[in-house]
Amino acid sequence: MIPNLTSIIAILILGTTTLILIMLLPALLELKKPKDGGPRLITDNISEVQIQIMRMIPIASIEDEQKFDSALIQPLAKIIAILPSLEV
Amino acid sequence: MILEALEAVFILLTALMIVYLIRHYVFTLTVLRRAKNAQKVDVVANAEFEPTVSILIPARDEEKVIGRLLQRMVELTYPKDKLQVIVIDDGSSDSTGRIADEYSSRYGFIEVLHREKRDGGKGKAAAMNAGFKHSTGEIILCFDADYYPQKDIVEKLAKEFADPNVGAVQGRVVVLNEPQNIVTRLVALERIGGYRVDQEARNDLGLIAQFGGTVGGFRRSLLESLGGWDESTLAEDTDLTFRVYLAGYKVHYVGDAECYEEAVDNWKAYRQQRYRWARGHMQCCFKHSLKVLKSKNLRVKEKIDGLLLLNVYFMPVIVLVSFIIGVPLIFFVSSKLVGALWFSMPISLYSFVGNFAPFFEVGIGAYLDGRTRIQWLIPLLIFTFCYNIPICTKAFLDLLVSKILRKDHNIWVKTSHLGNGNSYIMH
Repeated sequence: MIPNLTSIIAILILGTTTLILIMLLPALLELKKPKDGGPRLITDNISEVQIQIMRMIPIASIEDEQKFDSALIQPLAKIIAILPSLEV
Repeated sequence: MILEALEAVFILLTALMIVYLIRHYVFTLTVLRRAKNAQKVDVVANAEFEPTVSILIPARDEEKVIGRLLQRMVELTYPKDKLQVIVIDDGSSDSTGRIADEYSSRYGFIEVLHREKRDGGKGKAAAMNAGFKHSTGEIILCFDADYYPQKDIVEKLAKEFADPNVGAVQGRVVVLNEPQNIVTRLVALERIGGYRVDQEARNDLGLIAQFGGTVGGFRRSLLESLGGWDESTLAEDTDLTFRVYLAGYKVHYVGDAECYEEAVDNWKAYRQQRYRWARGHMQCCFKHSLKVLKSKNLRVKEKIDGLLLLNVYFMPVIVLVSFIIGVPLIFFVSSKLVGALWFSMPISLYSFVGNFAPFFEVGIGAYLDGRTRIQWLIPLLIFTFCYNIPICTKAFLDLLVSKILRKDHNIWVKTSHLGNGNSYIMH
């Protein structure tokens, strides 16, 4: 019933290796093909009022807004794309 | 008997780690709560407050980057008649002085202070003191030569001095050459945790916000009364931070005042920089700990945070000692096995992914910056964690030996800047 020492060591090594791989896999992927938009862009010439307005937008909602914008803009873009062909 | 003593030390050190861990959790939760309650924004300080400002730029062999910064000084939106920029050419052997002279001849508000080769290279504090003597502004700001600030950064930093309790300010540092390699990426992560979360939380909680030596400055009258920069320490910024607080003033962190820096881009430069920071910080710990405890100008929470801040570079040493003690304890103190294992849990949690900015702090900082992808790199912080252990241990041992031999001789190893950040600047 009691597993022998060799199998315990094998399981430990395998487990540790798997854990390290899983832990580092995202990092290795990001290093291989960076998709991060860094470095952080610092902004110039933004007035204090604008900064305050930016601060008032909850961070979580920014992504939702972007999704909403793209949902609205894509059909509009298609319509605009047709417009030149309407000209005679 | 020996094992029992070791166990007591182990428990004490673990308890200390838990205190730091709790501190970082509090900081992280504070900035998260602040972000959620973003409506409660700070009232903008007196916008009409426009004091005269002197900007000190110490530069030694910085020809690759000094022109970039001086061009930025020209583009600053702060009224030029209230601005004085002083480049301290600290005995450079390259064309730093010539580039600065060219700018000085074209723009009246830029001045150059040339230091002879025999006077230069004695550290940043010595250069800053030389520049300070030459300055005239009511507010003294400092920028390192490899930095690249926002155009309106002077307004953002100077307005804080409208509050008479503010003795010093500190802006946010952002890594410019982040995509360069793994070292710059990891430094960027550390900076995000350190500034976006750590500094901001300390400022919000009324604790010890830290002057970082650059992208910040002082009220002239205060700096004069403090006697300027202490040339005997390697962490002149931390030293000044504590002298400001002990004098009854505050340091304000201004997260909106952002400035790019060119981060170290190889492990050797990383080691040299961190060794200097660690040793300097430890010097400050010996110098200020007792004063902080005795001070009547500091509140209890400031004293606690001040002591934790002064001791922060001992943490990697403590982690190392804990592991060394902890392993034999697990094997030899069989009756206390469960207890020892339980106590090793917080060590693992705290230390595996960050000494100075744990993984959750970095992660939340990146999230608040709107950067989710960079979070994928967080597990790699284990490498900087491991690297900081020998660096800080060596700094501690060297300092200890120098204290015993009474030869606390500082050797300033300057960080070289190759201008690798130039390509990332967009106009």
